[in-house]
Amino acid sequence: MGKSAIQTKELGKKYGSFWALENCNISVPEGRVSALVGPNGAGKSTLLKLLTGLSNASSGESQVLGKAPAQHEDFLAGIGYLAQEIPLYKSLNSAEHIAMGKNLNKHWDEAFITNRLKELGIPLDRPVGKLSGGQQAQVALNLALAKKPKLLMLDEPVAALDPLARHDFLSSLAQAVADGGLTAVMSSHLLADLERVSDHVIVLASGKTQLCDDIENVLKEHKLLVGTRERSKILGDGVNVIHETHTARQATLLVRVEKGTKLPAHWQQQEPNIEEIILAYMGQAKERGAQ
Amino acid sequence: MNWFAWRQHRKQFIVFGILLAAFAALLIPTGINFWHQYQHALTTCAQNPNTPSCSDLTNSLFTSSADGFIRIAAVLGTFGLPILVGLFIGSPLFAKEYEEGTNKLAWTQSVSRRRWLTIKLAWALGFALLYGVALALLITWWSRTLNAMTHYRFIQGHFETQGLMPVAYSLFFTAIGLMTGAWFRKTLLSFAVTFGVFVVCMTSFANWIRPHYMAPVTVTSEVGPGAIENKIPTGAWVLKRGDLVNKDGKEVSFDLPNFPAECQKLTLDIQVPNGSHVAKIKGSGVDPVVDCLNRYGFHQVAKYQPSYRYWDFQEIESGIYLGMTAIAVGATYWLVLRRDA
Repeated sequence: MGKSAIQTKELGKKYGSFWALENCNISVPEGRVSALVGPNGAGKSTLLKLLTGLSNASSGESQVLGKAPAQHEDFLAGIGYLAQEIPLYKSLNSAEHIAMGKNLNKHWDEAFITNRLKELGIPLDRPVGKLSGGQQAQVALNLALAKKPKLLMLDEPVAALDPLARHDFLSSLAQAVADGGLTAVMSSHLLADLERVSDHVIVLASGKTQLCDDIENVLKEHKLLVGTRERSKILGDGVNVIHETHTARQATLLVRVEKGTKLPAHWQQQEPNIEEIILAYMGQAKERGAQ
Repeated sequence: MNWFAWRQHRKQFIVFGILLAAFAALLIPTGINFWHQYQHALTTCAQNPNTPSCSDLTNSLFTSSADGFIRIAAVLGTFGLPILVGLFIGSPLFAKEYEEGTNKLAWTQSVSRRRWLTIKLAWALGFALLYGVALALLITWWSRTLNAMTHYRFIQGHFETQGLMPVAYSLFFTAIGLMTGAWFRKTLLSFAVTFGVFVVCMTSFANWIRPHYMAPVTVTSEVGPGAIENKIPTGAWVLKRGDLVNKDGKEVSFDLPNFPAECQKLTLDIQVPNGSHVAKIKGSGVDPVVDCLNRYGFHQVAKYQPSYRYWDFQEIESGIYLGMTAIAVGATYWLVLRRDA
């Protein structure tokens, strides 16, 4: 396993008396595209703001590209960030945004962004406020990419886009990642989209980390077990039930199996897909929250 | 960063430049014209002292409705232009970034937040300074005719429009706009609060704070119409004009119950019938009453700030405003750098 692009330890953020993020421990290796998922209010935006240095942690610590997040240019030069509302200067056009990037960044790939926006057919001379939502998202994404960050953090960038614009946006992202040298974290609640571009997943729910691992490992470690209800109590050590559903006689369990643990033979085993696993974790957090 | 700050705000700077130019276009020709008219009147009056208007130039020159309009426009413009910079450049500068979320875009470029803030502040306050200086020079130059003629530059309502004050106000209200914008993160709220600060500052300084920068000069005179006025030098800012002082040295109002019984009797015929109201006799030329009061040891008192203190007062007040500007700028640093995006 390579170096971590992001490493947090007991990271927390409190607003008033409410912990929006609590005891968050995550680690994202370099080169991954990590999907940050969780229901609304899970603390995704809060986490990304802490990692970009836009807000200050209430507890714990974090290392982003080997540095504590800060307001200094040394730190900021390494990251790219796209906030949820896709902020742009509405009355300025794309060319002026490109000039802004050049003015505000030491490393700036003007040819890259100019070509990319031309390829996408985005008029450089039109105020960005008059572009479509999808075009604005592209401008914002490419502004973040043109500063050649080592770590790109995107906060629900596709939430407001129509399916075609979403597809184009994810293609742009996938292409940038394929060009190499980039780690990305993208939050979303659209699981299917994340599955297409990511190889790592972080599940946040109720302000806490539920899961943080490579998707490959996650798939290996989780099983879907189907059996009779009576047996659901006798699973043995090393098998953690994440979520269970019952019919009158049958129980369906989503379990995390620790390495080297043998599953009881009397269960019918199935391979869950990543979406099922994520939903199971989100459901588990919700049930705990309700208790 | 400088290029971008200019690009982002140049529209406001240009609009205010135009506003200032329009104001100059009103004041420069009228300033020249007023000065010539006044000089002409002085020459004429020196040659023919009996010309009727010469006895009272203040009330005979520049009294046409057009001149009246210009005089009002000059005062309103100099009051209004500094607060307008605070409202339209100060308030939105940070508030709009927060409102539209563009602060998050700016703060994740490779420029430290402190540098971003410093450059934005420098542009806004630098503009306010230049603007204030231009306004001050313009209005102070323009006012020389009326200052020479009426000697009223120390009086509230005129003190604020000349000398150092337009510079101090421009800087201060811009800083208040910037600070409240960073504080509330809402342009309209910052706008309203900045305007509120303007109203409070303008009334409280003129009425309650400025009179106390230096102890006023006190003069007394015998009771009588015009007696105290003769003791007040030209161009002074009069804080108290002719209040009555009884023989014990106590200031009393010009009301009947404060008069000695003998003097009260002399005024009975002008007393208001229901008795609860008392008739004021100040300056009414009721000579027996005046004589009576003087006989009983009453006199009149006036307090004023003499005209030679004008620049001291300008320096003190602009110093206070610059100090408050520095506090507002410090608070803006704290608000922008310490609070979450």
